[in-house]
Amino acid sequence: MALQVLNFKFKTEAPKTIAKKWSHLGVTGSGDLEVLMEQKELGGAVTAKVVTPVKGFDAVWEKMLGKFVNDCHVGDVSIEINDDNATPIVVYMRLRQALAEANAKEAE
Amino acid sequence: MKSYKELQNASFYDANARERAIAMVDKGTFTELLGPLDRFTSPHLPVLGTAVEFDDGTVTGVGLIGKHPVFVVSMEGKFIGGAIGEINGGKMVGTIRLAEKTAAAIKKAHPDEYAERRPMVVISFETGGVRLHEANAGLLAHAEVMDAFQDCRKKLPVIAVVGSKVGCFGGMGFVAAATDIIIMNEEGRIGLTGPEVIEQEMGKEEFDASNKALVYRTTGAKHKYIMQDCNYLVEDNCGAFHEALKEVAGLPMDKIEGMRRIGSPAAVAEQMKLVKLIGDMQPKDSMDMWKHYGNEDPAALPEMTTAEFLKVVKRRPRN
Repeated sequence: MALQVLNFKFKTEAPKTIAKKWSHLGVTGSGDLEVLMEQKELGGAVTAKVVTPVKGFDAVWEKMLGKFVNDCHVGDVSIEINDDNATPIVVYMRLRQALAEANAKEAE
Repeated sequence: MKSYKELQNASFYDANARERAIAMVDKGTFTELLGPLDRFTSPHLPVLGTAVEFDDGTVTGVGLIGKHPVFVVSMEGKFIGGAIGEINGGKMVGTIRLAEKTAAAIKKAHPDEYAERRPMVVISFETGGVRLHEANAGLLAHAEVMDAFQDCRKKLPVIAVVGSKVGCFGGMGFVAAATDIIIMNEEGRIGLTGPEVIEQEMGKEEFDASNKALVYRTTGAKHKYIMQDCNYLVEDNCGAFHEALKEVAGLPMDKIEGMRRIGSPAAVAEQMKLVKLIGDMQPKDSMDMWKHYGNEDPAALPEMTTAEFLKVVKRRPRN
């Protein structure tokens, strides 16, 4: 019944941290999630905390988050996710969007 | 995130709570209070296995319109239907109380310039009312918000903005009615019991929730505008709401008091007159009321654009 809290740690080659100190994207809507990214000194690693009502998908979360970190060469970032039943592809898309937002220059 | 310029032209209906909060005040002036980084999530939802959100579904903060500090509360309908619980209710109350305190401080520091520096509270409603997971705290928040409104009376304006997907229903329908001024776009809806609940309780003959045209002409902004339950009807873009708020910021307080629907013996008498009229008329549809107030072809009104509608519409006269 209670919410699941999952913690992961990843490390990739040639990691780069985000431009902003912190960045937030998305809403915990049904089938969706919100992502909070924060710069953090982690020796090039990425930590991820996922809070989700869904049980039994730990391995899928680890795969999707690992793929994101490897594809985008992210490092020294703490990622926190509040999820409400998002599918893996939505998770991946929101992570890419959140990263773009975290590196975006402030527009006029 | 859209730039401020893009936001001003963007649909208010489609904008999320944070975008609305930023767009309703002047460019670059919005500072969020208790934002996502503060991680003020609900303590009740995890126990029930329900997903949480870092801002608990409500964006609060302060910005400026000219010299007027604007205290903003903006609800996110995608998170549990924008329902009000302990944390986001508390954030709402705190924001209004902060506005009231600021008003007192400004009055003390700038007694001659109060009119041009007068703060305001702006609430962008997108909610179905109380969050049932934490119902007692949610109900208490409703009461505390209305209490805070009352303390702002005749000191600073409290403005309701309704123009998002979920509309403004349940207890928050009462709360919106207790504000000084209501601004809506055509897509905005205000009510107490939502259409689906009426149908479920009273049957399809009483209210057919799948009939969108019926729902909109009963709870929608055009009807509210004719009945004087909505003060400003604007186009569906964030810039139009910003413009309307600029106008309100400059109005004198006694004029704003006169725009209220409830809260004085005169307003109660006016509402009772309306109740008597409805008893005598027994209208079968909101269009009967539109016709009563002089709209010869009521069926044409829902089809019109906002601009066309504003040109021809006849509203309930106010005493």
